[in-house]
Order: sequence, then C-alpha cells, then structure tokens
Amino acid sequence: MKQLSTILLWPITTSEKLAESFLFGYRKFLICVFLLITIGLAWQAAQIRPDASFVKMIPASHPYVANYIRYKDDLSGLGNSIRVVVAAKEGDIFTESFQTTLKQVSDELFFIPGVDRSALKSIWTPNVRWTEVTEDGFVGGPVIPPKYDGSAESLELIRTNILRSGQVGILVGNDFRSAMVQVPLFDKHPETGEKLDYKEFSSLIEKLVRDKYSSEEISIHITGFAKIVGDLIEGAVQVALFFAIAFIVTMVLLYLYSGSVMGTLIPLVCSLAAVIWQLGILNLLGYGLDPYSMLVPFLVFAIAVSHGVQIVNTITLESATTGANKLDAAKHAFKTIYIPGLTALLSDGIGFITLMVIEIQVIQDLAVAASLGVAVIVLTNLMLLPLLMSYAGVGRNAIAKAKRGIEKTNSHWHLLSVFATSKGAIVAVAVALGLAVLGFYGSKGLQIGDLDAGAPELRPDSRYNLDNEFITSNYSTSSDVFVVMVSTPVEYCSRYETLALVDRFQFYMRDIQGVQSSISLVDVSERVTAGLNEGNLKWRSVIRNQYVINASLSYVPAGLMNSSCSLLPVIVFLDDHKAETLKRVTAAVEQFAGEYGSDEIHFNMAAGKAGFEAATNEVIEMAQYEMLIWVYGVVSFLCLLTFRSIKTVICIIAPLALTSILCQALMAQLGIGVKVATLPVIALGVGIGVDYGIYIYSKMQTYLQQGHSLSTAYLETLQSTGKSVAFTGLTLAIGVILWTLSPIKFQADMGVLLTFMFVWNMLGALILLPAIACLLHPEYRSLKVESVS
Amino acid sequence: MRNITTSIFLLLCMQISSSVASSDRLVQPALLQSEMDKVLLLAIDKAGERLVAVGEQGAIIYSDDGGSNWLQAKVPTSTLITDVHFFDRYKGWAVGHDGVVLATQDGGERWSKLLDGAAINALRVDALKESLVRLQSDASTDQEAYELMEYQLDDAQVALEEGPSTPLLDVFFLDHEVGYALGAYGLFLKTVDAGQSWIYEGHLLPNPESFHLNKIYRTKNGNLLVMGEAGVLFERDDVGESWIVVDAPYQGSFFSAVESDALYLMGLRGNVFRRTEGDASEPRWEKVDIGITATINDSVVVNGDAYLVGQGGAVLRQEDQGFKPFSQRGLRSFSGVEFSEGSLITVGEGGIGKIQLDGVVK
Repeated sequence: MKQLSTILLWPITTSEKLAESFLFGYRKFLICVFLLITIGLAWQAAQIRPDASFVKMIPASHPYVANYIRYKDDLSGLGNSIRVVVAAKEGDIFTESFQTTLKQVSDELFFIPGVDRSALKSIWTPNVRWTEVTEDGFVGGPVIPPKYDGSAESLELIRTNILRSGQVGILVGNDFRSAMVQVPLFDKHPETGEKLDYKEFSSLIEKLVRDKYSSEEISIHITGFAKIVGDLIEGAVQVALFFAIAFIVTMVLLYLYSGSVMGTLIPLVCSLAAVIWQLGILNLLGYGLDPYSMLVPFLVFAIAVSHGVQIVNTITLESATTGANKLDAAKHAFKTIYIPGLTALLSDGIGFITLMVIEIQVIQDLAVAASLGVAVIVLTNLMLLPLLMSYAGVGRNAIAKAKRGIEKTNSHWHLLSVFATSKGAIVAVAVALGLAVLGFYGSKGLQIGDLDAGAPELRPDSRYNLDNEFITSNYSTSSDVFVVMVSTPVEYCSRYETLALVDRFQFYMRDIQGVQSSISLVDVSERVTAGLNEGNLKWRSVIRNQYVINASLSYVPAGLMNSSCSLLPVIVFLDDHKAETLKRVTAAVEQFAGEYGSDEIHFNMAAGKAGFEAATNEVIEMAQYEMLIWVYGVVSFLCLLTFRSIKTVICIIAPLALTSILCQALMAQLGIGVKVATLPVIALGVGIGVDYGIYIYSKMQTYLQQGHSLSTAYLETLQSTGKSVAFTGLTLAIGVILWTLSPIKFQADMGVLLTFMFVWNMLGALILLPAIACLLHPEYRSLKVESVS
Repeated sequence: MRNITTSIFLLLCMQISSSVASSDRLVQPALLQSEMDKVLLLAIDKAGERLVAVGEQGAIIYSDDGGSNWLQAKVPTSTLITDVHFFDRYKGWAVGHDGVVLATQDGGERWSKLLDGAAINALRVDALKESLVRLQSDASTDQEAYELMEYQLDDAQVALEEGPSTPLLDVFFLDHEVGYALGAYGLFLKTVDAGQSWIYEGHLLPNPESFHLNKIYRTKNGNLLVMGEAGVLFERDDVGESWIVVDAPYQGSFFSAVESDALYLMGLRGNVFRRTEGDASEPRWEKVDIGITATINDSVVVNGDAYLVGQGGAVLRQEDQGFKPFSQRGLRSFSGVEFSEGSLITVGEGGIGKIQLDGVVK
C-alpha cells in the first residue's frame, strides 16, 4: 500500500519540488506568461456563445433516442413547431377586430424566417377547410368565406364553418374565445441549409407578435420547443448578473476575513483568471455555454476562491508566527498547500469526470467544463497566486490581526473541539446516525424525472408555463406527447394488416392510466371511410379491403406516414410526464409489442417530448447509483493514497455520505426529482465537499504526529485552518445560493441543493470528522502532550 | 399412451393455430377497457331492464342500473360492432364489421360468434349459384335478370377471394327464431333458427345496384321496412314474401325510422319525413322541418313522443307534429338512443351519455 501510494503520488511530490524551484526561480517571467495567456484566453472567452441543443439534452445512445434519430427525417413534420394563440380578453372570436388581428398574426408568422410556410395553419390559411356530406357527395371550402367582409353575416358563416371543419379544440379554443396559429419550423432551412437560431427566432416572435399585438382586448400565448429554448437562453444570460453579485459579496467577505487588501484582491483576480481560462479553453475546444454548463464558472470561481483563501491564510499565519518575509511566507504556503490542494483539486476534478458515465451530452459537457475549470485552478490559484503574493504580501494589518487571533486562547473554537472528546464524539456520531436514518426514511418518496407540468425547465409561474396552461386548458391537446414509431417494410404501412393492428394498439393504449388519447394514420382512414359513407359512424373502422383503405388515404396530413410508407407514427397524448406515468406507458407498449409485434410490424419507442423524457429517466435511474459508486470510489481511493489509512478515509467520507443521504431526503421533501439537472449535484457536492475533509485532516495529522492529543490537535487545526474552512463553505454557498433566483427552474433546484451540500459538508467536516476520528482512534485520546503553540 | 400423445399433439396444434390466427381481429377477443367514455359506441338496446351497448373493437357493455355503471362483456372478436338487438331479457344478437354475427343467451354477458364474413361470402355465392340455376331452368326468365344475376355471382366470387370485408349494419329479430341481418352493398341475411344457420337473400330484394342497407324496421301494423342508401326503401307486409319498392320522398340515405303518432323516416342532413297516409304502394310523405341540418341516426319513443339523436350532438323532441331541439347541444355525434329510468341513454363518439327527462316530459 505504502509503495503503491508512493509510486502513484510520485508525480505530485516531484512536481511540488520542481514547481517550487521553477516557480520561485522565474517569478517575473512566469507572471508575464500568465498575464499573456489570460489576455489571450479572455479574448476567446468573450466569443463564447450561448447554446442549447435539443439532442444534447437527451441520452443519444438510449434505444428510444436511437430509434428517433433513425426516423428523424420522416418525423420532421411532427417535430419542431410552435403554437401561437390569439385570445380575446372580452367576448369571443366572432368580431371583426379579432379576426383582423388573427389574420395579421397569421401573416406576420408566415414571413418569419425558419417557418415552414406551406404547413402553417390557422383558420385564415387556405389549407384549413370544412367539408360536409350532402346527398350529392362532399362539399367544402375554406373556413374564412371567400366573400368575407367583416359583417355580422360573414362572421356567423365563420362560426358555422368552424363547427363544420372540426377544428374546435385544435385551431379554435373550446370556448370560442381564442384561436391558434400552428407554426411548423425548419430545424435546418431546406434551401440555405442554415440551422435555426433559437435565440434569434424567439426574440423575433416576441417582437413581431407578442409585443405588437398584445393589447387591451387581445392576449398572445406562445408555446413550443423553440420558445422554451429561447426562454432558457434568455434566462441563462441573466445568470451573468448573479455572477457580479457573487463576486462583490465574496470580495467584501474576503476583506472582512483577511483584513488585507492584497489578500482580498489577489485571490479574486486569480479566481477570475481561472474563470477566464476555463471559458476561453472551452471556446477553443468548440464548446458553447448551455444552461447547464452556464453554472460551471460560478463553481470554478467559488472553488478557486476557497483555495486562494487557504494560501493567503497560510501566508498570513506564517508571517505572524515566524515573521518570515513575503517571499519566504509565500514559498512556505506553496509547500504547505500544494499537496493537499492538489489532492483536493484532483478529487474535485475526478469527481466531476465521473459524471461522464451518464450518457447525456449536456451532463458530459458539464463534466468537461467543470473538470477543466478545476484543472486551471491548479495553475491560477496554486501557482500564480503564491507568486503574486510573494510580491504583494498580506500587509501588516493582516499579520497583526492574525497574531491577535493566535494569542487569544479562549476562542470560540473550543466549543467545537468538544467533538474530539469521547463524550462529544459519541453524541455527534449518534446524532449523525439518527439523521442518516431519518434521511433514508425521508428520501423514500424521491422520484425520477421532472414532476411539474408544462416545461419543467422553467418555473411553474413563468410566462411560458402560464401560456402552456392556457393552451392545454382551452384546447384538446396535451403537451405531453409520446410517439410510438411503427415501422414496416416499404409500402406496407397502409396495409390492412398494419392498420388493423395499430387500431388495436391505440385501443389498448387508450385504457392505460395516464393516456388521454392517440392519433395515427388509422384515425385518418377510419374517419375518411365514414366520411365517404355519408358520415355514418357505423363505417368508422379500418375496412378489410385494400381499395377502400387506399381511397380513404388519398389525403394524409403531414407527419402521419413517411413517403416510402414504411413508417407510421402513433402519437399518444398523456396526462402528464411523471416518471410513473412514463414507466406505465413504456411498459404497456413493450407488452403489446411483445405480444403482437411481428417480423413485418415493429413498435419502436419513442419520440415526442414524453418519449425523450422516458428515455432520459431510464438513463438517469441507472446512472444514479453507478455515478455514486464511481464518485465515492474515486474520492475514497484518492484519500486512501494520500493518508494511507482506511480509518482516515472513513473519517473523511462518512460526513459526505451523510450529506448525500440528507440531500436526497431534501429533494424528496421539496419535490425535486432526480433529473439531468440534479444528478450532477451529487457528484459536484461530493467532489467539492471532500476538500474540507482533506484540508482539516491533513492539518490535524501534522499536529497528531507532533504528539498532541486528538482534542488538542483538533483545536490547533481549527485555530489555523478551521476558520478558512468555514469561510470556504461560506464562499461556495454564496456562489450558488443566488442561483435559486434564476428564472430557470433547474438552475434554482441546483442552487438549493448545492448550497445545502456545501454547508452540510462543511459542518460535517468540522463536527463529524473529529468525532469519528476520536471513536476510531482510541490511542489518540490517551496522549497527553501539551500544546506547544 | 398413444391417445395421450395424440391429444398432446392436437393440443399443440390448437395452440399453434390459435397463436397464428390471433393476429386477425375476427378471432382476437375484445380487449377490456376500464373507462368507456373514450370508446366509440354505435348502438344500444334493452334486454329486459338491462341496457346493452356495442361499439369499437368488439366492445359490448351492459348496465343494470339505468346506465350509471357498466360492465364489459366477454366477446370473442374485436371488430367494430354496429348494432345489437334483444328479443327478450336473455336472448340477443349483435352484428358488425367483417360480417360478424354474435349471439348471447345470458342477457349480454357472454357472446359467441355465429357467423362471419367469410361464411357470408360462401352463402352468397351458393345462393346466387342456386338462383342462377333456377333462372336457367325457368323459361320465362328475361335476359336482363339473368345477366344481373350472373354479374352478381361474379361479384360474389371476387368477394369470396378478397375475404370478409363487408360490414353488417343492422340486426332485427321478429321472434326468438326468425331474424334479419343487413349491411353494406345490399347484404341481406335471414335466419329461422335463432341464427344457427343463415340464408342469403340480398338478391331477392329489388336492389339491383347493391346499395347499402342501413336499417330494418317493423311498423305497428306488422309490416317490415328496409331503408338504405340513395332513397332505398322497401316494404313487405307481415305475410308477404316479396319486397315492394316504396316511392321515397327524397333520394338520399335513410338511417332510422320511428313510429309515434305517425311513421317518421330520418335521413341525411336533417331530412325527416312523416307518412301522412297511404300504404306501401301509395304512400304520401310530408317533409318535417326540424330546424337543423344534422343527420339523424336513431330515435326512441317515450310517452308517445319521439326523441331523435344524431350528428354533432343533436337531440330533438317531438312537439305535436314537429321536432324542437332539446338539451344543450354538444359537439360529439350520437349514434343510438334508449330510454331507461327516466333518462335518455345515448351512445356515440363520446361513449355513453345520459339526458334526464324528469320534469321535462309532458
């Protein structure tokens, strides 16, 4: 073990010696190099683009998503569209002014770039028609009468036509007080090949539709994926403001803590440099900033500051106790902090890297961004910072303050050192065990996936979700769409056998709890067959005669079959997208597919928003424990290497485990599900939380090796680094607590959970760690060597 | 020993054949549904006091409490069931797509299949062949009738190859043994043994163009009336054997008939006609303005007044000799109606509906 760890730690110990002589040998030169790199990367960082891609948020390797990607082109008519609802605040839609506005909105949307104009639909577009069966056969026409003139008669005719068109609940609200424009979008423009710019599109819609047509009489409601993404990007940009606030608050606290202007500014500047480096390198590597990785700069900043504080603190103490000069104090700090700092940062970084086991691109990007950020902290805060401090020094005030602190024997840390005595330790461990049990019990209700209605990425009271609620309550369509892709051999999708089986499938699905309704080519065939037979409901069936079926499918709305007739999507509308519902639906589809699927007819899951959520949930449910095992495994291993004692590993890891358990309980109680956004929190929390333990234990070990009893060693540790650990916890918490104000729901969730984890990990390291150490190491208790400080 | 082996073998064969055959809706048992409000239901009848409704995917449901709670029957097929008829509280029949004829002996709880379209196609070919032979041997046959029969036989033979695709649309029994089932393309079947065997009689009706036959109705004087597409209207008195073409008041389809103070015929787009006088050979019709243009699909007489239901949620009540809209109109179409415990029980696109008549009945 010892040899192994020596070998493994060799790079770190060797790099320490090399780095020390190199760093302090070429101070000026290196500072110049750092400066140049920072300027270069700042230029890169400035160019980083907000980015939100749909495919990145879903698990690309999951079979559901793989199926979707395979049939993506055939499903395009179904995919990306927005819905714009024009609603009358008073009265109904049968007024001249309402119809004028509706026409204008419809026209306005028609000309927005990215819109698939041929498929745009509203009662004002000619592709929406009414039909009626008469003794002479079908008659029909556009909903808006050709001779429309705004008169009462022509408005009455619109009402009649709407009823005859069957568009109530689809393009016209169930209460006749609003009307919808369906706006299908091109992901890629068919002619120019240009990708749809969601941010641009979303702001155009706002400007040209919502702002322009909202009035005393009219309200506008917009939903659709493009709008969600637009709102996400817009919301995420607000996060920049939080960064500024976090920066200022940290600065004030840092000054209050250190009492040194340089000791405040230099860690801040170095930490900022870390953020600039991280963003700059990300841009160089071709990454954008999505709403998830948007939060990484906060973390990097907070982690950087906390390490900076350790160094400044060590410099101050060294200057105060030994009276060393600036350079020697900086050198000493570098030597003291380098190994635990590097170990801590390594475990942060590796903790983050374990997120790579989750096969969802945004999480993997987050892992890359965070690991990268931690790596640059090694350069900026473990190396650059002592260099700068070796010139600047902490200042006399800070040294004097530190001296007073050391001389003050009756400090409040005595209170905490009680946990390093056997009595206190038993109490602390017992309370911790109690909390763990409580946490286990409390986390029973923990759910997978998103629990809120509408777009769970945004807050329930966000404008988008209010719009969505308006539309779902006034129209007969759900936004939770689960698409089963029925694949057949070419030209087989409209065969009697296929349609009859899909008919049965839809009937079967309708009885599954959580399913509202479904629609497919079968419905078209059945309805048209009835229509061709004078609208007689007794004919609403798939007819066992291919000629009749073919006649019924002479006009098929876009998206219900592909051009080679080998794919037939069944669009299932669900009540909600709770994990339970999705599981029930996927299990039902699987059962049906197993029972009735054949060589010709396959039931493939799943596209649609709910389909992707089902896939994401499955991946997350599996990855949840895998990730925990990895992150704890890796962090434990690193601790074992550093301290070469299983007992020590337990001392450091147990408090983290308690926090993880309590965090799960908190999630269950707050109704936050395990999802793309919250899964990384555990890894981040553990990765960062381990820092405290490593700093405290390594310090404590030094004192123990000097022959102190545990409680004395612990008190010494508290007096030297305890303060900076507490301060670190605070800085980290400040970095993330502001996220709770984010307009993006998942950022707020991450904020709540990370704040909780940072604070609890800090308390765990300060209270539980010495308590466990005390119980595990009875031999330390008996040592009676007096303090030498 | 050999017997056991044989029976195991037979059992295996049966299982294999059943698993292969189960891919067809004619032999797939109907799936159970816990909620019927999303199911398309097409017809409803009373078995004694029990209500029995039929519809989509072989769904047959029954209620013993006036339509509040429903149970689903065991049905061996899952085709769309279009009509149901009970002679008494136990014996009933239902018909549907793919030529399915079902029967129950226990008031609609369990159903067995009596006939399907494949058998009907064979019956039809046999009947037409026989008829052709008879025409051949009869010297008085005119050439045109013979050619028509030949043409019909060709048609029937093609249908035999194409499979059981013709839907039955209506079923009616005169007593517990004699009954009729009729459907698309002039399909007309008769049984005299409660449905155990059937006779194809489509060619005996004056329907050379094979128009769809939508409904058979027995008037108060015992005559039978067959209604169909394109003004098809045939009548036969209670002893007669041959059908008379009735001069129809319009050339559209008829879907339903009801007799309250007089006989009313209901058709497409609000066309309702009242037979004022005359008999089959010389009827006189009067068009009744019902104020809406919805197709009327079914009707029921309550306390001497007829209630009509139809397309787009139309419900009308007879007032003297006219009809007035009754109850708030919904959007979903009604296909059938019954009266039970003071309420109209409707079936249609939205499953079961209940319209209270208490207090509004005259």
